Amino acid sequence: MSKFIIQVNSAPYGNSASFSAYQFAKEALASGHTIDKVFFYQDGVLNTNMLNSPASDEFDLQQAWLDLHQQHGVPLVNCVSAALRRGVLSESEAKEYQQQHWNMQPPFIMGGLGELVSGIEKADRLICF
Amino acid sequence: MKKLCIVFKQAPHGTAHGREGLDFALLSASFEQEVSLLFTGEAVLTLLKNQDPESIGCKDYISTLGALPLYDIDTVLVCQDSLLELGLSHEELRISTLVATSDEVAEHLNQVDEVMVF
Amino acid sequence: MILHLIKESPAQSLALTTCLRYVRKDDCILLSGNAVNCLLKVEIMQRLTGYTVYVSKEDIAARGLQRFVKEIEQVNYSDFVTLSLKYDKVISW
Repeated sequence: MSKFIIQVNSAPYGNSASFSAYQFAKEALASGHTIDKVFFYQDGVLNTNMLNSPASDEFDLQQAWLDLHQQHGVPLVNCVSAALRRGVLSESEAKEYQQQHWNMQPPFIMGGLGELVSGIEKADRLICF
Repeated sequence: MKKLCIVFKQAPHGTAHGREGLDFALLSASFEQEVSLLFTGEAVLTLLKNQDPESIGCKDYISTLGALPLYDIDTVLVCQDSLLELGLSHEELRISTLVATSDEVAEHLNQVDEVMVF
Repeated sequence: MILHLIKESPAQSLALTTCLRYVRKDDCILLSGNAVNCLLKVEIMQRLTGYTVYVSKEDIAARGLQRFVKEIEQVNYSDFVTLSLKYDKVISW
């Protein structure tokens, strides 16, 4: 059994790559592999915005990521600098940057790019979407 | 320690890919990974001299390229075919690079552990 | 040996063009997302001749392109996971 790290670089809506990443992660887990981490970089950080509000009859990708975390304990990590530039803030960044609002959906967490690097170092395989 | 090759395939400034790719490259190097860079397609324009990205509201990440040796990033490949396509010569580039044929690039991609494309 | 993942059509990005510069005969190319539209492009299919090429079954079905799949093998996400480990690394162009 192998350990994957999955990097998501595209927005959840308007680009099919994030959905693809989710499908890959789901199948890898179903085949008995481990996902060490899903790391959101570039426009991928938009997957973690809690204000994403898809219509009720559309696939809710954010909820799907949350389910993956709940069922398999997969860490969902945002690149903090990519997120800040795109207006995605956790509660602590909002305080730090004196913003009145924050919008990153827990249990997504903020992390540095270093977490991506250390994740790549530990995993057997990196897959970018 | 892993060997990571960061590939730049898009032109600078029009999108943030180049900037975020270089951020990742420098960070990986500072985390003791063996990092190499490949510039291909319009991304070779990243290496031109006399750029002024701030005049169009972009961060001047290009000047950071000069710091690559400080990060021990010594392998910087530039795709020979891409230079030819754009009518550019090696001398027009701002940093010291290795002009590589497609076969040489393919060989390099095979040798590293992971490849990330921006 | 490398698995080259192409997610966009050549009309959208230079992913496939760039990949074709560096791909080797013992690598494989997986067309997913809009890249499955390559099946309808004669010139591109000719350039892919001689390489091991797979197409994403889900993306083919989503776009109603089943009748254009001829000699190319269709793979689902479970096969994709297997392929990603069979090859030494995955390059997502």
